Amino acid sequence: MSKSEIDTLYAEVQRRMIENGEWDRILHLLSSKLSESGWTDELLHRAKDNSGTMDPLSLRAILQQLLSHAQTTVPLPVKREITILIKQFVKEQFDK
Amino acid sequence: MSASPDSTHAALFGDENTLSTEAHPGATPSISSDVSENDTARCSHIASVFADPSAKAGITDKYRTVVAWYAQRTHDALHPAKRRKISSPTCNTCDQTLSRPFVCLHCSFAGCWLEGHILNHLTEAGHAFSADVKSGSVFCSECDDFIFDDTIDDLYLATVVSVEERNTKFQVADRGREPYQPWVLSEEESEALKDAITVPCQGRRGLLNLGQTCFLNVILQSFIHNPLLRNYFLSDRHNSRLCKHSDCTCCEMDNLFTEIYSPTNTPYGPTSFLATTWKVSAEMSGYAQQDAHEFFIAALNQIHGTCRGSTNISCNCIIHQTFAGQFQSDVTCEKCGNVTSTIDPMLDISLELRTKSGEAAGDNTLASCLRRYTKAEKLGAREYSCSKCTKASHEAVKRLSIRRLPPVLSFQFKRFEHKTSGKAAPQKIDAPIRIPVTINMAPYTTLAMSMTGKDAEAGVPGPDAMYEYDLFAVINHEGQMDNGHYTNFARFQDEWYRFDDDKYALDCLPLPYDLTFGRVTPSTLGDCLASNAYMCFYVKRHLDYKPYMKPTYRLARENDIVREQAMEREKEAARMKEVEDTLMAMV
Repeated sequence: MSKSEIDTLYAEVQRRMIENGEWDRILHLLSSKLSESGWTDELLHRAKDNSGTMDPLSLRAILQQLLSHAQTTVPLPVKREITILIKQFVKEQFDK
Repeated sequence: MSASPDSTHAALFGDENTLSTEAHPGATPSISSDVSENDTARCSHIASVFADPSAKAGITDKYRTVVAWYAQRTHDALHPAKRRKISSPTCNTCDQTLSRPFVCLHCSFAGCWLEGHILNHLTEAGHAFSADVKSGSVFCSECDDFIFDDTIDDLYLATVVSVEERNTKFQVADRGREPYQPWVLSEEESEALKDAITVPCQGRRGLLNLGQTCFLNVILQSFIHNPLLRNYFLSDRHNSRLCKHSDCTCCEMDNLFTEIYSPTNTPYGPTSFLATTWKVSAEMSGYAQQDAHEFFIAALNQIHGTCRGSTNISCNCIIHQTFAGQFQSDVTCEKCGNVTSTIDPMLDISLELRTKSGEAAGDNTLASCLRRYTKAEKLGAREYSCSKCTKASHEAVKRLSIRRLPPVLSFQFKRFEHKTSGKAAPQKIDAPIRIPVTINMAPYTTLAMSMTGKDAEAGVPGPDAMYEYDLFAVINHEGQMDNGHYTNFARFQDEWYRFDDDKYALDCLPLPYDLTFGRVTPSTLGDCLASNAYMCFYVKRHLDYKPYMKPTYRLARENDIVREQAMEREKEAARMKEVEDTLMAMV
């Protein structure tokens, strides 16, 4: 598959998932698992730390600083579980 | 203080008239309705727009509409009533369906944040403000950052709460929730407050250790930082100068809050609280170290007992309004499927740290403790006999769940085991527990557990906010049972403080775990919160009120006043008669 084909497919899957409400339901589950694992609190902690020494204080800068850390520290078991749910959805959609 | 009804959010995060964080003895600032006028951190661009009423309306109307739309949409997605498409706007630049829409507050543009589409629009169109519809955060293109504005914050909260109110399925006597109304000062109130001295809405003092009384201090700090108790006592609901009880713990609470909110911040010694506790609960007396949880329960009972209008059944005193919830225990007969349900009141939840077989559990988080607590367990053959089958002994399954969630959830981790065999001294279980800053209690409720199949897809009756709780205090215990020390963490707004008797300091809630490469390892911090947490307290994020009802303690107070006045009249009449009789006798 070419990159543009993948992009088109991704956009389509995303559209269906959002319209279906499945996006919100999976996100809700992801939020609760991340909170239970301590990921959310660790990020909050880090944001507070960073903001303590930042001058001028900028939420935008904090967001940029935290984005890659946030993505790489998602616990593997959580990642696996959510990936399975997404795969299930995609499979259901394209089996029809 | 805050208006009634009020949401926990406003109580926790203060209203816009919050003054400085330090107590200023002798300061008499006036109540300005626009304190933020002189706040240089405020965005001047939005301030100038808001100065013009019609421009302000343009922005706020749009803001309110999009925030309400998104809140309703999220609710619908999580509680699907019918199979229907969720409205999903697309980005005006790249056409992708927006999972996290940012909208322009000046035109109909909506766009992606990460790819920069919304920001490009603001620059190209010369529009200043855009809002993240989920969090309500407003971005100002002139400031080139997200801004903080009281009007926006209030509007966000009011809008979100209003959507929650509309979507609350729980009803009392066929009536929905009473809508939140902000406090607007009446003429009388304005007049009364004109010359009032304002005090900061936060108070903080260390508590002196009076001889092994750290157990008392940590519980008192948890009361002081409890928004519902604080609001009750600061609004003079139990005035110790008018109370006629002796040895009244409710008066001690009133005195405690008076001391904490007084202009001094030197440590305070709660001597009369301790003395009253000894008088009322003999088992708590003496200078030995007591168990903080035991004291907690004793104190709750004492305060309840001395509260005006408290009753033994369905009490509505401040303690019950704050802490009282209900458990439900369901026993299912495996033979006939008959379910026997028992409902019990509770003021707190005590959680086991070990599995039934006595081993330490693998993953220790508050959520895993709650799952263990609400897990179905088989009852032994002789423990149960079904009323329906009328057979003596057979298999049954018992399950606990929370039927009613109180506004304040108190958890105790059962760290002290009393071993009946072997060592005489109780062993302390030091297993670390991860306590999250927020928790959603829906999965542990009776309602959630009773939903099966199709029902379960619709989720627990909403809104979600009814199940969301925020941590505000943690009590730690170091050492062994007999010679340990209690300290605590407590929060005001979003600042955490660590208290150690008379000493306290601004502190971060230390994280128990380092998240490195997805592995979970204990923190290297000396002060590890996780292994010491003994009790913790959460408060519901948004309070929900029974519609149009007067609390029984208020009714009781009104009846008391009527009765007292009648008694006064009788006494007066009797006295007059005595005087007359004496006069007559002299004649």
